[in-house]
Amino acid sequence: MSFKFKLIIGALLLTAVVASPQSDEKKGPVFTKDGQLVLPTGYRSWVFIGGPITPNGLNDGHAPFPEFHSVYIEKENFRYYQKNGKFPEGTVMVKELALVQGGGHSDGSIDSASGRGYFPGSLSGIDVMVKDSKRFAGTNDWGFFTFGHHAPPYEAVANESSSKECASCHIAFVAKTDMVWVQYYPLLKTKID
Amino acid sequence: MKKYVAMLIGVAVIAGYAASNHAKSVAAQTTHSSAQYTADGKLILPKGFRKWVFVGAPLTPNALNGGEANFPEFHHVYVEEQNLDVYLKTGSFPEGTVFIKELTRVLNPTFPDGSRTEPSGRGYFNGELNGIDATVKDSKRFAKTNGWGFFTFGHHPMPYAQTASESPISECAWCHIANVSKTDMTWVQFYPILRGDKLN
Repeated sequence: MSFKFKLIIGALLLTAVVASPQSDEKKGPVFTKDGQLVLPTGYRSWVFIGGPITPNGLNDGHAPFPEFHSVYIEKENFRYYQKNGKFPEGTVMVKELALVQGGGHSDGSIDSASGRGYFPGSLSGIDVMVKDSKRFAGTNDWGFFTFGHHAPPYEAVANESSSKECASCHIAFVAKTDMVWVQYYPLLKTKID
Repeated sequence: MKKYVAMLIGVAVIAGYAASNHAKSVAAQTTHSSAQYTADGKLILPKGFRKWVFVGAPLTPNALNGGEANFPEFHHVYVEEQNLDVYLKTGSFPEGTVFIKELTRVLNPTFPDGSRTEPSGRGYFNGELNGIDATVKDSKRFAKTNGWGFFTFGHHPMPYAQTASESPISECAWCHIANVSKTDMTWVQFYPILRGDKLN
């Protein structure tokens, strides 16, 4: 193959890379130079896998994670889990919290047209976990981060949380299911599209 | 050498044109509606909705509703991203918008209110998938009910019905008309990302 021909092929490849659509591509975690995790973006368009709720009204006024927990994962990692039963390296899982709409019963529920229950109020924080077996070898391959339990704007970067804050509980209860509480997420438990 | 430079540019232009055409065809595909009907007007259960944008999850536990909530129990609501984008820009959903509400039961209740205690606290956790309701915006087809049609594919574990007839006004539309006709028939007050809350 001549040099010029290689050049043409090179130009073609370069053009293809530059022109390829970016929108649906997997991004993975981004860290600062000193190892802080950068707040993921676009996660509200990822796959929602479930939404437990621990209302303050049922937790002496202070739930550890107040109150709705909406959990998101990127589509590619969701598919990988469905196929292989574990998450690939670089998986990012985002849990966004929302408070309930108040003003109703002492348990935090309200009466609405669709019945008595819990309805999402204001957004109230972000926790993130990242799978990286080298970086987080000390905590079963996953690192844990919080960007604050409060209304947006959230922190832009976060240090890894100490093991006793997050990882210890995941290690104690869900070490066998890749550190994820799969028992709360029907979409992870069921073989569905 | 000039000849090869010209060739290179030509190749790059063709490749770039092909790539932009590809992008256009992708964009064109996303403007279609996920609402597909049988010949006799039944809505076909859309596919892939669990990878649409999740907008919120109210919870009406059976235990707080005399043992039988109208929508048991978590309501997971999804809409396609391109329709959400139009709504956020204009305040109304485009023709052809489909909303899916997938129900799930709560996980094994232990308290009389249906909650249970887990390491993260006392509350409600997602149990079994339990049914699908859908709304579709089509101002011609559903002119009598403010431009939206309402469908249910069953309130029970999978498998769901694959097609659904439009639900009568007395089952769904009347309540949306009575309560949320000013917000395009959608309960935007329950969904932070539709309400226009400040996001990060």
